[in-house]
Amino acid sequence: MDFVILSLVLLAIGIYGLLTKRDLLKVFVSVELIATAATLNFVMLASAATEQVGEAFLVLAFSTDTAVSAVILALLVVARKKYGTSDVSDLVKGDRQKEESEAEA
Amino acid sequence: MILEVLTVGLVISACLAIFIDEAVYSVAALAATFFFTSLLYAMNDALLAAIFQFAVGVGTLAVLFLSGEMLTGKPAKEMKSKNVLPVALYGLLLSLPAVFLSIFHSAGSTPSVSFGEALWNLRAADVVLQGLVILTVAIGIGIVLHEKRKGEK
Repeated sequence: MDFVILSLVLLAIGIYGLLTKRDLLKVFVSVELIATAATLNFVMLASAATEQVGEAFLVLAFSTDTAVSAVILALLVVARKKYGTSDVSDLVKGDRQKEESEAEA
Repeated sequence: MILEVLTVGLVISACLAIFIDEAVYSVAALAATFFFTSLLYAMNDALLAAIFQFAVGVGTLAVLFLSGEMLTGKPAKEMKSKNVLPVALYGLLLSLPAVFLSIFHSAGSTPSVSFGEALWNLRAADVVLQGLVILTVAIGIGIVLHEKRKGEK
């Protein structure tokens, strides 16, 4: 049983989701998984080495994670309200079309 | 044995969270991921970490459920078991290396620094700055809401 490998597996799943999924909600879930992998590493290594510094870092990692979640959720809500979609490629396409129409005008 | 079951559950729920298309079920799978992670921490004598993980997980998921409801505005489709089973099997396969391989061994010594000491002696500046940032954000939100209410009147 190895938690380093477990955290690597979680990191791989998160990166796969980040690279392949286009929906902002899925991007958010992927980022959460990556953050969970990082915190798992902190906690398990600290626990195995009976060192509490890792758990102290965890508190800071959680606050960063929460801030990242808040930013992504805010982006998700704004994108959905303004453009009616949360698909990243649709958002980029819409932005490019807007730029082109502005350049033509 | 319990740790192995929790590991398998964690990887399967993480896979389901990524691969299920329906937002509500995906968030539910993420909830399971947080729950299993929290249990893993608790089983490894990291009770504080388990409590933090659980609290942060519950907070994040509450916001996610609310925003999911707000954004989709349509009833969730039924989840098909034929879509879930391959993903669960894939997750089971992915969890096998973590269960059977080992590259790290515990030292098994007594703790040299306690959690409180580590937090306050080594990371005090970070914790205080973090508190200031949260306070600033709270004041900012309060001002924005106050101005909005003033504008509505």
